[in-house]
Amino acid sequence: MIRKETLLSWPMIAFMVLFFISPLLLLAGISLRGEDGSWGLGNFAAFLSDPFARGVLTGTLALGAKVTCFVSLAALPLVMLYWHAGKRLRGLILICTLLPMLTANVVRTFAWVVLLGRNGPISQTLLGLGLTERPFSLLFSETGLIIALVQIELPLLLLPVFAVLNRADRKTLEAAEVLGAGRWRAWFSAIFPQIIPAVLAGWVLVFASATTSYVTQSVIGGARLIYLPQFVYREVGVLFQWPMAAAISILLLASTGVIMLGLTMLARHERLQGHA
Amino acid sequence: MVKDAGFDLTVAPSLAQDQIARLMASPGQPPYDALLVSPGQSDILIQEGLIEKIDPTRLKNWDKLSPAAQNAWGPYVTIEVNGIAYNPEVVDKPAGYKALFEDPQCEGNLALIGFGSNTATMAYTEINKAYGGTYDNMQPVFDLLEAYLPKIGAIATSGSNQMTMYQQGEIAVFMASTGNVAKLRELGMPCEFAHPETGSPSVPVAIHLVKGASNPDGVYAYMDAAIDAAAQTQLAEPPTAMIPTNVDVPYSEVVSQFVTPEQVANAVYPDWQAINKHRAEWTETFDRLVVR
Repeated sequence: MIRKETLLSWPMIAFMVLFFISPLLLLAGISLRGEDGSWGLGNFAAFLSDPFARGVLTGTLALGAKVTCFVSLAALPLVMLYWHAGKRLRGLILICTLLPMLTANVVRTFAWVVLLGRNGPISQTLLGLGLTERPFSLLFSETGLIIALVQIELPLLLLPVFAVLNRADRKTLEAAEVLGAGRWRAWFSAIFPQIIPAVLAGWVLVFASATTSYVTQSVIGGARLIYLPQFVYREVGVLFQWPMAAAISILLLASTGVIMLGLTMLARHERLQGHA
Repeated sequence: MVKDAGFDLTVAPSLAQDQIARLMASPGQPPYDALLVSPGQSDILIQEGLIEKIDPTRLKNWDKLSPAAQNAWGPYVTIEVNGIAYNPEVVDKPAGYKALFEDPQCEGNLALIGFGSNTATMAYTEINKAYGGTYDNMQPVFDLLEAYLPKIGAIATSGSNQMTMYQQGEIAVFMASTGNVAKLRELGMPCEFAHPETGSPSVPVAIHLVKGASNPDGVYAYMDAAIDAAAQTQLAEPPTAMIPTNVDVPYSEVVSQFVTPEQVANAVYPDWQAINKHRAEWTETFDRLVVR
């Protein structure tokens, strides 16, 4: 029997079942179809038994991990600044964080093409400072790709953390200081635990977005850095192998899903929840 | 012209391979009524039973087409001539395809793409022939690519990606069509076209009627408009700079800068059935070769 208070959620559930779960099941079904029309796990076995394909899978997960790590490092000073900032500066930081999100991922990616190129400001500045002898390009390199992805994904970590900081109780910090903790220790023992669930939620978003960012991966990374989304596109758009593409998609979903599930469970851990 | 005939026209820009992928994904309910593709894709569409032969009597401009453009599966509306695009401010005119790999001035300036691209596929098959290979033996070109990789400027993911890199000064030489060069020039870039020493690989571009099209009459109106002299005269001008197939349309000034009717007549027309037979395997080999 449908409970009255859940009625409002039913349209959303129906929408999810119709436009997310059903296509996903369809995809899973297609992935089980072999080239000869038989059914089974042949596509998965073929993919996982191929060292090149396994390398693409691990490379994709490693890219997600590296981007998440560097996004965290880049976010830390901004989070500290936000915590100590007054109302106006907080507003300014928030606008600066949101501003890039108002442009499409494609636009941000092509902006990075200009920045990372051999005639771009990064190369030219280092050349002008005498730190390099000739112009260099960071395009089509993993370094360039990570730099671009860190900037593109940064708001996904910052926004949930800022939301928690807005309602964090400053009195806990004062209490820690009264009890003798230094400024850093007080911050890390009183405030940091409060933002951990938000950090974990941000990591989930950053990791998922970085591993599936087809446009940035292909435009900045080029053809010499292949990740799973490009692999899927190649199977569909060049080789017309829909069942294999479906199998790779399921593997991408499963592998990123396991990591995301782990982080989500960690964020919901009662010891961490207790601090929020 | 299509509107004058009483139909609406929605153009959905998409890569040829994507168009086929979408058609294959929606059997019986095609997302397009008509397709503009070259023989590499036409061959797949015919094999998969996704397009149907046309009735030429329904096209009033049919007789205006050059005999070579009167294709039973749909009229050829233009011919894409391929060769080498280069930046004259960075490199001298390359002597041909072999020079891309043998001339030191191309080192660090050359961009390549994979076998997903028709332009690149045709270039690789021609280069392969120049180094003693055949359609059934592409090893010479793969050996060449493997040896040349450390000197490569960039390996892009698509033709448009190459053009972006060219605009940014990342590369100065790439395998391109005359249309790509015309587009870059239109954008103010210094860009020239070089014909390969082995002849320019060329592909006619056809409009096909999709099997199960919702509005076949509209498709015929579209085909007729695309081969009409007035439309082809306009399309021969920049930025499209398309080579006309209507015998009443002379080559425009910009098209004449790239190619003459004689060069088109003597161009290399690759064997797409042989290419399609091996294309998947070549794509795999190329990817495994270039990935770091």
